[in-house]
Amino acid sequence: MLLLVGAVALWLGLSQAALAYVRPGLRPPLAASGLVLLLLGVVALAWRPVGATDGHSHAHGEQGPRSAWLLTLPVLVLLLVTPPALGSYAASRQPPGTNGGSAGEFPPLPEPVDGAVPLLVSEFVARAQDDRARSLEGQRVRLVGFVIPDQGGGREYQLARFVLACCAADAEAYTVQIRGDATPRQADQWLLVEGRWLPQPVPEQTGSFTKPPVLLADAVTTVHPPANRYENTQFPY
Amino acid sequence: MLRPRSDPNCHSKERWGVLRLGGRTEPVREAGSSASPPPATAKRRPRLFTAELLVLLVVVGLGSRGLVAEFFDGSAVQFWSTLLVSIVIQALPFLVLGVLISGAIAALIPPGWLARALPRQDALAVPAAGLAGAALPGCECASVPIAARLRANGVSPAAAFAFMLAAPAINPVVLVSTAVAFPGRPKMVLARFLASLLTSIVVGLIWSRVGREAWMTRARSRLVEGDSRWAAFTETARQDFLHAGGWLVVGAMAAATLQVAVPRSLVQQLAGHQLLAALCLGLLAVVLAICSEADAFVAASLRQFSLSARLVFLVVGPAVDIKLVAMQTGVFGRRFAARFAPLTFAVAVVCALLVGRWLL
Repeated sequence: MLLLVGAVALWLGLSQAALAYVRPGLRPPLAASGLVLLLLGVVALAWRPVGATDGHSHAHGEQGPRSAWLLTLPVLVLLLVTPPALGSYAASRQPPGTNGGSAGEFPPLPEPVDGAVPLLVSEFVARAQDDRARSLEGQRVRLVGFVIPDQGGGREYQLARFVLACCAADAEAYTVQIRGDATPRQADQWLLVEGRWLPQPVPEQTGSFTKPPVLLADAVTTVHPPANRYENTQFPY
Repeated sequence: MLRPRSDPNCHSKERWGVLRLGGRTEPVREAGSSASPPPATAKRRPRLFTAELLVLLVVVGLGSRGLVAEFFDGSAVQFWSTLLVSIVIQALPFLVLGVLISGAIAALIPPGWLARALPRQDALAVPAAGLAGAALPGCECASVPIAARLRANGVSPAAAFAFMLAAPAINPVVLVSTAVAFPGRPKMVLARFLASLLTSIVVGLIWSRVGREAWMTRARSRLVEGDSRWAAFTETARQDFLHAGGWLVVGAMAAATLQVAVPRSLVQQLAGHQLLAALCLGLLAVVLAICSEADAFVAASLRQFSLSARLVFLVVGPAVDIKLVAMQTGVFGRRFAARFAPLTFAVAVVCALLVGRWLL
């Protein structure tokens, strides 16, 4: 059991596969814990015959509780099903993400590359809704994300990215309404969208945005999903 | 066979008079009032097994009910399995850290030494143990096996639980991520520190008054008698991991099920009412089972809610969530978890609201 869990943890820690579930910073600890579990398993295996042969009362050969067998469940799910990173289904079940904390103050936008400023979806949403200096105004930006089709069957769709603080259980979807793309898009299709921000008035009733910001697209291309499908909160460590 | 170490504190911990895994009945002084006859070991094991099976069935049943509502939508199943795997993977390094520390305590610190190092009275030992929690840079998964080991080592349960509640909430790593998630609001960090510390102390003191040893049906008497310190260390760590690990999976399944069944947007409609919103975010913290190192970022994004309500989220989360309840069930027993979780939830909500009213 320890060997199995340890081996899987070590493999996850060293491969890209863990990125579908946790933030990249968790990979080294994951690999380390896998190594520890492997060692514990090997030690327990190595000592078991000693206790069995000399008849001395040992705890080494003692099996764990039966509940420990439940540990095989996530391992089996992982190996047999390999659940994908969160996508449009999970995103459509959340209210549109809004950025917290630093209302109003933003550093200057990065320099444009090939005619557009590359931005994270979450950063675009934050600047569109919170920036008093309106730094997005008139800028051509480039976003990468997956498609959430319009619920009502309309032509517009949303481009989304999940932001991960620690693992997929705390993921928050940030979405941008895309206008001006005539091609029908499928759910979970990954797109690179270039265009300009279309400012919307703040709803007077609530005083804050309840709908995602709008991007007027002028160029859309399909792309391969990135290795890390999530955007990550900046951890201080 | 496993033999309990002749520990002077042993009689106060084991009211059942049976060392469950020892396979050997040992008459022990009854510490409590009602004299329950010691059940035979052979009878106890299958009963516990069915209890575990029952929890599993309930969780799976709940899960399938939520999924039926989604018309067996394939994406719901995928969502569930992604969440399950994520929660387990995320908790694994912290659980391993916890069992390593637990093993080190078992191997290096002689039984009873910690109890003597702490003040004798619970009124002093509980705050001391709570403050000591600031020294453990981990999240809540690590602190459950450590608290169990502290108890086995002779530390009073109230102090051990104060440590268990405080450690995941007030350690430097968690406070730093809170400061990053709430830039320009240092009071949020202070409020979280105070409210969590207060929660752990209050729960510890209440427990020292009303807590019964008998509730901890799975109390740890398993002090491993090894040939060497190294053997004691590895064996303790291995056993602790196996005990907590299976229940971590149960907790992860329950958390994943609830996340699939209850859409997050449902919660946000209650943001308007002050008290209701606080209760609601407290429940959300229980349901989401987010690692305490990351929950500040989620709290920061719940902008429709008042700061006090979000403080409730931050104080409840590390103290009681569905994953922790499952692990405590596995480590301490069902009767313990059924009393400890509601007590902790109520105290955490009240403490957070009081501190929030005062500071925020």
